[in-house]
Amino acid sequence: MGFFEKLFGSRRRGGNGGKPREISCEEALRRVHEFIDGELEDVSTAEVQAHFEQCQRCYPHLRLEQAFREAMRRACADEKAPDGLRDRLEKMLAEAAESG
Amino acid sequence: MGEPRDAKPGFAEEALPHLDAVYRFALRLAGSADEAEDLVQDTFLRAFRSWDQYTQGTKAKSWLFTICRNVFLRRRERTQRHSEIVTETATRAGSGSAQVVSPVWSSVQAVDPEGEFFESIVDERIVDAIEELPEEYRTAVVLSDIEGLPYAEIAELMGVPIGTVKSRLFRGRRRLQEVLYEYAVEMGYVPATTGGKTTG
Repeated sequence: MGFFEKLFGSRRRGGNGGKPREISCEEALRRVHEFIDGELEDVSTAEVQAHFEQCQRCYPHLRLEQAFREAMRRACADEKAPDGLRDRLEKMLAEAAESG
Repeated sequence: MGEPRDAKPGFAEEALPHLDAVYRFALRLAGSADEAEDLVQDTFLRAFRSWDQYTQGTKAKSWLFTICRNVFLRRRERTQRHSEIVTETATRAGSGSAQVVSPVWSSVQAVDPEGEFFESIVDERIVDAIEELPEEYRTAVVLSDIEGLPYAEIAELMGVPIGTVKSRLFRGRRRLQEVLYEYAVEMGYVPATTGGKTTG
């Protein structure tokens, strides 16, 4: 990798004939959480996505992290506040409003 | 009888829709339904009373989470029921954030490289594992992975830089993965490995 590519490479967008810049396995793995979270900085989503799509060694890492997140959401994301709590809360807020 | 929406314009429309999310967050913080309900009531009452200071149309959900966490931390401080100490060198592998490959992936790479064993783990065990995390990790992980808040909002809510949020998420997730992996091994969902080789 040349000097200018090292200097500017991580911020280049579409400077490679419209193709995403190629990133290393280490960089892709280091960015996997930010990629899943939609929080990438200094590197584009397309660049990281292209790496995971093309690299058979790195792809399972992405899938494992996604499987973990899916399990977390499945376990917790559908929990609802009990109806009794909702009723008590509305009553409590009505009383608070009355008392000023 | 006065309705909340009359006394505090916008409260019912902006704050109450987040009741389920605040309840989930309170559950993960408190660990019991009774305490979580109490925490939620306290959170909404405080939010209701200080609604005038809230800028309507901004981040009501984050604001409620902030109040909920502050109430929880103050109660915990008062009662001294927990003495969690977050060690910044928490991972079992001991090599910290420099290690880009998940230790769990290293353990399962030969038998389940895509982590399908996570699908077999019952919800209760996942919830227990989250609640066993130190509060700083737990809050970051719940707000990001379950409630989907951006790093910047979590940082503001916890009063720490974004880099600290990333670090807590990284360590919290790693620790959770390790706990869930150990459970999966115990349950036979994935074979135990030593040094990358399957045992048994």
